[in-house]
Amino acid sequence: MVGQRPDVATARDLALDYDFGERASKLRSRLREMIAAEIPAGYLGAFTDDPADLHIAQHFCRRLAEEGLLTVSWPEEYGGGGGSVWEQTVVREEMWSHHEPRGAQYMGLNWVGPAIMAFGTDAQKQRFLPPIAAGEVIWCQGFSEPDAGSDLASLTTRAEPDGEGLRITGQKIWTSYAEMAQWCVLAARVGVPGANGAKKHEGITIFLVPMNREGITVRPIRSMLGPHHLNECFFDSVPVEADEVLGGVGQGWNVIRRALAHERVGIARYARCDRLMSQYTGKADGWRALPAGLRQQWVRALVQIRVARLLAYRAVAEQEAGQPRDATASVARLAVTQCDQQVAELLFQAIEDRSLEGSDTGVESKAAPNPAGSSTAAIPERPPFTDKPLSVKGGRQRSHAFLDGAIEDHWRYAQAATVAAGTIEIQRMIVARALLGTRSS
Amino acid sequence: MNLELPDEAVQFGATAEKALTALGGVDLARDAEREREPDIRLAKVGNAIDSLGADQLDPRVDIETAAAAGELCRVAGRLAIPYPVVAVLLRDPVDLLPFALVPDDRCRADHGDLFSEWRVAAPGGQQAVAMPVGSRFGSKLGPFVTDLTPTGEWQGTAPGDVALHLTLTSWRILGTTERSLELAIDHVGERVQFGQPLSAFQAVQFQLADAAVGTDGLRELCHFTLWRLFADPDAGLADALALRLHAVDTARAVLRTSQQLHGAAGLCDEYDVSVLARHVQPDLRLPFGSERTSAELVEAVSRLGFASLFPQGGLDP
Repeated sequence: MVGQRPDVATARDLALDYDFGERASKLRSRLREMIAAEIPAGYLGAFTDDPADLHIAQHFCRRLAEEGLLTVSWPEEYGGGGGSVWEQTVVREEMWSHHEPRGAQYMGLNWVGPAIMAFGTDAQKQRFLPPIAAGEVIWCQGFSEPDAGSDLASLTTRAEPDGEGLRITGQKIWTSYAEMAQWCVLAARVGVPGANGAKKHEGITIFLVPMNREGITVRPIRSMLGPHHLNECFFDSVPVEADEVLGGVGQGWNVIRRALAHERVGIARYARCDRLMSQYTGKADGWRALPAGLRQQWVRALVQIRVARLLAYRAVAEQEAGQPRDATASVARLAVTQCDQQVAELLFQAIEDRSLEGSDTGVESKAAPNPAGSSTAAIPERPPFTDKPLSVKGGRQRSHAFLDGAIEDHWRYAQAATVAAGTIEIQRMIVARALLGTRSS
Repeated sequence: MNLELPDEAVQFGATAEKALTALGGVDLARDAEREREPDIRLAKVGNAIDSLGADQLDPRVDIETAAAAGELCRVAGRLAIPYPVVAVLLRDPVDLLPFALVPDDRCRADHGDLFSEWRVAAPGGQQAVAMPVGSRFGSKLGPFVTDLTPTGEWQGTAPGDVALHLTLTSWRILGTTERSLELAIDHVGERVQFGQPLSAFQAVQFQLADAAVGTDGLRELCHFTLWRLFADPDAGLADALALRLHAVDTARAVLRTSQQLHGAAGLCDEYDVSVLARHVQPDLRLPFGSERTSAELVEAVSRLGFASLFPQGGLDP
């Protein structure tokens, strides 16, 4: 199958054809090789209490950039690989299944860069795109506010004229990676909402703001997701210049819609479910140790993962055809996020009370904290990542702890799946409106 | 990657739906249920399906033909066509006997009374020739189900036919599922309560959305599974069982939603959704229902593995 059968030449000419093709299959193989070589065992993402994990992600981004794989999905005119939507899908699947070794940079690569390509001035493109392509910069997204979550168009952060420029005042919330980001894509309102009969999304403007600018304060929010994921950002009369507007004053809603549409199919959550289940049953006693009742749930979950993946592929196919439908992306997101949570619960049942031990893999980093380290800096010495069966000889062996930790980490993250990037209630509304042939007012 | 069905298959399905709708659509099921003789099913429906060219379709040949067969099965499900379309499509190429999957302990098939001889296979894989015993059940949920009895020895069967039968039956279930959702959408748009259409209520909208996710997912899985049967036939049984499991679970959920949104009307045979919900039951229960399907899938995944992004199953020697 996909990713495992690069030699399915006989299937290439079939009318229905789910083979990704040779280029995408080679890409998948190369990404797995690089992950195996560069990412240590026990890596569960860049946002742990161990600063070395951020360093690992930054290093990996630079390695990808060196091989031209960081921007494989970008158009060639912007220095990218001009990869097809299916190659982009391969990247999403491999990155998410391996705990997103690009760390926070996926946001800049997946949608900030493409949004700047679509809406930015030539000067903005020249300034912002090369650092993203080189794997050197982290962006965060300042959209949600305490009183503007699903109803994002109600945001109240305001940008008011001040001489030649503007000053931004307001509060953002749920801002991932704000503590480590160098730049923020910030949504703020220019003018009075609803003035002169304007709709509330009119006036919203996107600003590209450096996070070290005076007047910005970041406060971490403690959560079950762990450190660095959720933050509050306070903007106290932060000065911005006219050339820091993306897409024109009052045109921010178009940028946001593009960003949210990308996010809906952006995370291949099914791929991590797939890999964790494979790792679990790949253990010497993994499958046989499962109670019979759990085995039936297990195969149902395998089917669910397959269906979620296929629905995501449908959204990708519409994207390829140049006719993406909001409802298709929402259907995919509903399936993928709920699958994520159900698989998380199933894996928790499999590891039973070991789920309470936490995601600490028990491996001590030997590298000094160095989030801004260069590509030549030493990375932590940990065992290489492996998809080979993990042996369990009794007790809480290290290899066992890796997987238990990954499962525990997955469960916590999965709880956010149905909320992040638009709740599933919003997705249901989008789907229902499409079904009923009505339009959002 | 190509997620689309061949144009010929899509056109064939559209032609079939137009012809069968003109012949009576769901009323064919109502009429056939009232008739004690099989004339409507054989003479009217059977001839109509043959005249569409179904008797020339062998879904074993290639994926294009299989897709056309799948579309015919889907259309049959949409209209609750009272005819064993899957069994006839998988008729034996030599003796032309229709093919049915039957339970281990009871040999029975939907529309078993229509043909004097059948080729039947049990889930274990053995097959036999069988003949009908007595008349059709005439029950609400199995109006055309008929007991059969083997006339000879049980022998080995072609696994590909078992996988294709499970797959094409799932396409038929897909048709019933998607049509029931369409009927529910129509109904909630027309039915006014508390001064507004039922579709204005968010609780109703959310049920429709969840049903659409189920139906869309089942459609994608039907397409994918057909491809898998030709791309990797050795693992076909696991793929077909996975599809059947999802088809049965999805159909039960979506039909329940569709009937519920119809209110009491959903229980009345004047409304198509009621006929669809009753007549799909043999497809959901024969040769086995959801739980047994998942047990069979566990065994198949253990033995054959399960194609995915990472290795799954395939652990038993």
